[in-house]
Amino acid sequence: MTFSRAWLIYRSISQNQRLRTRRHPMFEKKLAMKILSYIFVAFWAVYLVMLGFTAYSYFEGSALEAFDWIDGGMIWFLTVDFLSRFSMQETPAQDIKQYKLHNIPTGFLLHTFLFRMGLHPYNLFWAFFFVPFGIRAIPQFYGIMGFFGFIIGWWLMYVLNSYWYLFWRTMLNRNFFYVIVPLLTYAALAYFGIFFDPDNQWLFEGTIRLMRGFCQWNPLCWLVFVVVVVPLYMVNFRLQKAAIYVEIAKTEVVKQFKTHNMTFLDGLGVIGEYLKLEVKSTVRNLVVRKQFITGALCMLMLCSLFSFSNIYDELPFMRVFICVYCFTCLGVMTLTTIMCAEGNYIDGLMVRRETVLSLLKAKYYFQCMILIVPLLFSLMPIIEGKITWLTALGCLLFTTGAVFPFIFQLAVYNDITIHLNEKLTKTGRDTKVQMLMAGGALFLPMLVMYTLVECFNDDVAAISMISIGLIGTVLHPLWLRNIYERFMKRRYENMDGFRNSR
Amino acid sequence: MNVTIEKLTKSFGEKQALNIDHYAIHSGETIGLVGNNGAGKTTLFRIILDLLHADSGCVTIDGLVEGMPVSCDTSKSEEWKAYTGAFVDTGFLIDYLTPEEYFRFIAKISGISDAVLHDRLLQFDGFMNGEILGQKTLIRNLSMGNKQKVGIIGAMLHYPQLLLLDEPFNFLDPTSQLAMKYLLETYSKEHHATIIVSSHNLTHTLDICSRITLLEHGLIIKDYDRDYAMLTSEIEAYFKGNINI
Repeated sequence: MTFSRAWLIYRSISQNQRLRTRRHPMFEKKLAMKILSYIFVAFWAVYLVMLGFTAYSYFEGSALEAFDWIDGGMIWFLTVDFLSRFSMQETPAQDIKQYKLHNIPTGFLLHTFLFRMGLHPYNLFWAFFFVPFGIRAIPQFYGIMGFFGFIIGWWLMYVLNSYWYLFWRTMLNRNFFYVIVPLLTYAALAYFGIFFDPDNQWLFEGTIRLMRGFCQWNPLCWLVFVVVVVPLYMVNFRLQKAAIYVEIAKTEVVKQFKTHNMTFLDGLGVIGEYLKLEVKSTVRNLVVRKQFITGALCMLMLCSLFSFSNIYDELPFMRVFICVYCFTCLGVMTLTTIMCAEGNYIDGLMVRRETVLSLLKAKYYFQCMILIVPLLFSLMPIIEGKITWLTALGCLLFTTGAVFPFIFQLAVYNDITIHLNEKLTKTGRDTKVQMLMAGGALFLPMLVMYTLVECFNDDVAAISMISIGLIGTVLHPLWLRNIYERFMKRRYENMDGFRNSR
Repeated sequence: MNVTIEKLTKSFGEKQALNIDHYAIHSGETIGLVGNNGAGKTTLFRIILDLLHADSGCVTIDGLVEGMPVSCDTSKSEEWKAYTGAFVDTGFLIDYLTPEEYFRFIAKISGISDAVLHDRLLQFDGFMNGEILGQKTLIRNLSMGNKQKVGIIGAMLHYPQLLLLDEPFNFLDPTSQLAMKYLLETYSKEHHATIIVSSHNLTHTLDICSRITLLEHGLIIKDYDRDYAMLTSEIEAYFKGNINI
């Protein structure tokens, strides 16, 4: 392939990728969505800039230089970055599929997409933190060139992290449990490299030395980067090449399913039918199942920590705080995409009377029933006297009567269909509104608890939460109908969104 | 059921998808909507079913249900949903259910008992041709033709007085197409229902419909009452005239 042709193809692919984002039906239509996403990015950018400026002052006067503390904690930065990529970065195998039939060598396509992944602006996002921090911390020791070395060094670490993420994201598409490996790797590195032996913090010291090397433009450090990135790039190249063929030749294994009428729910009438739908959707759809299992695992993990360990016993606030999250986390994680699964068959629902109202009621009862699990788990700390039964009841009712009404509001605004059984899921399913609401649903109980515990005591906080929760729970037919009526007012817009994103 | 469309317009950006000043469908009629791609057939279906917002105008459904007069604007009330059945595309199917579960779901939310459902499904036995029930397969794993059959049966299960089917002959094998024709003819006779069918298959549409409406670029070009010989030649002449090679 000639250079000019390669350049032409590279530019065309770059342009197509830009257009894909710009012309996304959801992004194209809604000015509010555009503004909100810019605000969202701007918020984090400003937050990181502020953090960057203040971080220097925080470490000033300590035994190590401020930049050493930051460099030594590289593993934490990379872990946070790795986790945040789940909602930002996609695998190229699906994108390449549409170019595969054209007269373009697959190898070239893969190199193009992988190279562009390295150059992705997201790898520069952390510069909002490192630039202000570096301006204050680096030039006095290494001069202006040292500052540029510091910034480029960190950028290269994030590029490395993006390829590391890509590897595991692709593996994760094969089997969900691969998610454990990178997380264990980060945990093991942090534990053995920093905490295990205080006299030999090899990871802490190693990353300090590496970053000092970048500041000094030490060729050995650049060589270390090349030695790590090249094999990682090549492994990804091979992996993505195989993934393209998996994607193209994708054949679904058709399982046999018995018809389950779940007659024990028949007594609940129409609501019972929608409850059956909820259960079957969770069991039979890969994406919904994954979402549910992840939420349930989080809930069980929090419940176990709370019930069987004493790590949160020191602070009274933390005890109640964890108790609230035991009850809310699954609901928040699964209800963030409320109605998105139904987007696949929304037309069928909408030509039948008040089906969405019944569906919302069924979803609410389903979520309430699941709360039996954290309630059972909370018996242990109640018996041990860590919390009172009032607190547990307060958390339960606050979830059903305040958190759920809050997160259910997303039923009015969610209008992007999630593909129920897609194995290679694309990222970016969660809109900024969903993220904000999920954040709010997690933040709201914390705020209420914090205020009440700080101003009064545990019991007053619990009784207040019971009162608030009880009102919301008893009034659920009213607020569910209100959501339904607002959904019906927005129905054309929502149905349009669901159809466009199917 | 009578369906009345008044001053209905719908545009997608610059492109006008529908512009119907007045169009009335009378109770018991079987209407065939024909037209080339982009004529506005599916858009009209979606607006009638309140799945799409019209820029202006309204669709009114009125008639007698169980001896009682009913009348409503489809965008302002949900009353019409009780006596209307429709299948437009797979967006109407809950594809993680087996066909049996799907039919039972439809039956339950329509107030049909298990025994009645069983009897009603027997009437569709020929149309299902042994490929739908008892397959231990989810709807999403069925062939397109069989999904189409599940959707059509789902739309007819509660014996609607108004039935809308968008391209019902699509994906069906020849045997099933003939069964579909028979099914619609029988249904129309037995239930005196109003049926609106859109199709690219002129032969089948002309065979089953008492009235043919020709849509083009969102406008009703012709509205033919039944006169089979004249209708066939006129419609074929119209589409031949469109051929531009």
